[in-house]
Amino acid sequence: MVESKHPWKAWIYLAPAIVLLLIFTVWPIVNTLRMAFLENYNIMAATVPGVTFNVGLGNFQQVIQYGGFLTCLGNTMLICFLTVPISTFLALIIAVCLNAIRPLQRMLQTIFFLPYVTNSIAIGMVFAAMFNMIGNNFGGEGELLITAGIINNIIGIFGVEPINWINVGSSYAANVFVMVVYIVWNALPFKILILLGGLQSVNKQYYDAAKVDGTSRVRTFWRITVPLLSPMIAYVVITGFIGGFKEYSSIVGIFGEDMGPTGDPRRLNTMVGFIYDALANHQGRASAAALILFGIIFVVTMINLWVSKKKTHY
Amino acid sequence: MKVELKNLTKIFPSRSKKAGEEVVAVNDFTFTIPDGKLIGLLGPSGCGKSTTLYMISGLQKPSGGQIFFGEEDVTDLSAEHRGVGLVFQNYALYPHMTVKQNIMFPLQNLKGADKLPKEEMIERAHQAAKLVQIDNLMDRKPSELSGGQQQRVAIARALVKMPKVLLLDEPLSNLDARLRLQTREEIRRIQKETGITTIFVTHDQEEAMSISDMIVVMKLGVVQQIGKPQEVYDDPINLFVAKFLGTPPINVFNGTVKGGKLYIGDAAVLDVPGVEDQDVTVGIRPEGFIPDKKGALVCNLSNIEVMGRDVSVVSTHEASLSPAIRSIIDADDMPAPGATVSYSLKPHKVFLFGREDEKRIYFEVK
Amino acid sequence: MTAQNITMQEKDMSRVHARQRVMKIAVQVGLYAFLGIMALIVIFPFYFMLISSVKSMDEYRQTVQTLWPRDIILHNYVDAFKTANLGTLFLNTMYVGVVSTILSLVITVLSAFAFARLEFKGRDAMFAALLATMMIPGELFTITNYATISAFEWKNTYTVLIVPFLVSVFYIYLLRQNFLQIPNELYLAAKVDGTSDLKYLWKVMIPLSLPTLISITILKMMGAWNSYVWPRLVANDEAHRMITNGLRNAFTDSTGDVNIPVQMAAVALVSTPLFLVFIFLRKYIMKGVSRSGIKG
Repeated sequence: MVESKHPWKAWIYLAPAIVLLLIFTVWPIVNTLRMAFLENYNIMAATVPGVTFNVGLGNFQQVIQYGGFLTCLGNTMLICFLTVPISTFLALIIAVCLNAIRPLQRMLQTIFFLPYVTNSIAIGMVFAAMFNMIGNNFGGEGELLITAGIINNIIGIFGVEPINWINVGSSYAANVFVMVVYIVWNALPFKILILLGGLQSVNKQYYDAAKVDGTSRVRTFWRITVPLLSPMIAYVVITGFIGGFKEYSSIVGIFGEDMGPTGDPRRLNTMVGFIYDALANHQGRASAAALILFGIIFVVTMINLWVSKKKTHY
Repeated sequence: MKVELKNLTKIFPSRSKKAGEEVVAVNDFTFTIPDGKLIGLLGPSGCGKSTTLYMISGLQKPSGGQIFFGEEDVTDLSAEHRGVGLVFQNYALYPHMTVKQNIMFPLQNLKGADKLPKEEMIERAHQAAKLVQIDNLMDRKPSELSGGQQQRVAIARALVKMPKVLLLDEPLSNLDARLRLQTREEIRRIQKETGITTIFVTHDQEEAMSISDMIVVMKLGVVQQIGKPQEVYDDPINLFVAKFLGTPPINVFNGTVKGGKLYIGDAAVLDVPGVEDQDVTVGIRPEGFIPDKKGALVCNLSNIEVMGRDVSVVSTHEASLSPAIRSIIDADDMPAPGATVSYSLKPHKVFLFGREDEKRIYFEVK
Repeated sequence: MTAQNITMQEKDMSRVHARQRVMKIAVQVGLYAFLGIMALIVIFPFYFMLISSVKSMDEYRQTVQTLWPRDIILHNYVDAFKTANLGTLFLNTMYVGVVSTILSLVITVLSAFAFARLEFKGRDAMFAALLATMMIPGELFTITNYATISAFEWKNTYTVLIVPFLVSVFYIYLLRQNFLQIPNELYLAAKVDGTSDLKYLWKVMIPLSLPTLISITILKMMGAWNSYVWPRLVANDEAHRMITNGLRNAFTDSTGDVNIPVQMAAVALVSTPLFLVFIFLRKYIMKGVSRSGIKG
């Protein structure tokens, strides 16, 4: 570092960043806190002279009592607790297998990374088409099924009856299944990249030592690979949870902005979706929900850090 | 367990796709390691000694030749079935396990009839820890141990499954000088106590000479000489081996043999009966010089270093192939200070080598 | 301790040999089979998109779908281009992407330089405060920013798509770390020679941290290409619409009986630039991603 003769010079370099951050980052933090605790706050109403809002927890109460919120919270939790373990475990297995082969390794690595460089709305539409049925198949008499969709075609090979995945009248479980499949598919590349990077930096001698000692592959995986990779696993789990709590556009991709199958909108809405719904007209409620989301993310991250500190021993 | 290597060869394919650029890491190595001995594989880096060790362990597959443990051919057997203990250069202790867990790890791998009850595993781990004197550190993590202690844990982990053969890859290279002396005695002691055939790899000739029953000197994948340390030192088979062994290193001169006499420069320094007239390279061990006013080898004296019992005399000579000649002589025979020093030579400390092929040329020592 | 052999009995050596070889081959076959199947699952959606995008409506609507199109109808792509008005969307998105990337790079470089090389009061405290904001979910900012840009009357302009996201604390952090790795002696030498800060920045720091800058550029461009939520809120008019919004809007109903082949053609068109970037700049993307963990 150099003791500058003109300390103000640094501030000139920082000026554009600081101005923008003050407007679009610092002020929003302050303002969100303010709006969250002003009951029924609404920007339009606030511009009317003489209108005041009570300070209190009313917005939070409203959020929690609001019927849709529990659905959103439930969906978000379900996404997190289904997709994070599934995608982490799958990514770990794929990374370990990739690390164990020589020929074709680079090619397969590239293929597994492909879903990362996609537009989640666009590919969500592809997933929707794959699971989509054309026709109206409510299971009644004389109804017409034109095409059951490629996924139903494929499971049909194994003798499974076509399932109504995402169309009118589809079950919640089927919707969640499609959603989980898509989110896991989307989450795999990043996790594989990180875990494979971790594996490749593990000293090969640990594996040589295990081999000389006659350690089975399964035991090597659980007793050596997983513990040595635990910092990376913790990292992908934490980022996975954060991403899961902020999930929104994957569902828009599949189900559209209604966040649910036709005839049952908002069935698959998430926390972030809830915030956006309230954003235009109920800023107080949206702010309270955003703070709740932040609180949940913060707590879950802390729990994860605490657990991983206990589990990553070195 | 006797270990026998027959025509062992390892060829690494070239990295580039051009043919014919393959590297022969080990070439046609044949040797029988007697049961219960400590063998040092010695050579400069890249000589194939570690590759040999890894082939014995089963981690690398030979390109040709065979390996026998006792009478049994283990060439195609993979590492886990060979029952060897291997100590890695950087120990490869599992960082997330305690010392005890590290040592017990190989035992927990045993399956079927070999499976041990838990108490016995703990008992065996304690025995192994006691043998290497770390039984008071059992609950520490590797990161909480010094380099020497980690080394001992690694040895204990290799010994706990009672291996047929113990392999050590540069076991002392990560330790500081004082620990190195101490640990090599320790390795010797442990090997004697267990009687396990032990092979270790090193680039440090002093280390190999001091504790091995036999040493194998290698260069560029080819075994140069095998024998007891003192024998190899006293009777090197070629210039490479002569230069590689001994501290201070051997002094090398250009010389000529004419009429049964060895000339260095213009002076006839030694009778070498039975050697044909030719140009040779002469190696003289530091302890092969006798200060002698009438001595034929006259060198320019640069410095005399007193080292207690012995004196190291540093001098130069125009025929010398190294910048300085270093001789070790008894303090009582210290030459008088002056511009030159004259030596006569101990014939059994003088070795002749062909100028071209660097092979030893023998002469009769009276 | 005795050197007795406990891991391996001398008998049935040959059986061990044979079993060992079989096991080894079986494991390799298993690995490739597993990875192959997973790879197929991973690329299947892309394959489905491509084959569906060239099918006729009739073929697509067969009871059992074909895995290879009978007739390749490239006209779907023309229809897709027209239906979704992709031309305008491409241009809008490119404009926003390029302008915001350039401005963002300038701001990031200047700030990272100040944090890495200049001495001023409160530097470390301020940097820590910036890092702390990274923990807050972006949605929390959106609510107020929506109000702010409404007050500025920026709705339905390019400005609103560019300005609010010009500063990324994460990019500043990334670049600062990179700058710190450049030996300070170089800076001192430049000072002694009377080189100005800006010239030093331009001539030394930027060339030395080019890989990071390229990573940032790619991530920023991909961000513009994939942005959806913010543009939908603030600039969803015909003139300023971004590509992802345009795609979603043109095919509002993703299920039911819509012209899926044309829809798939549109999706393929939108995805292609991303794949091209990926193919040519794979190294930088993977490096940037492994350090960031954020998408776009």
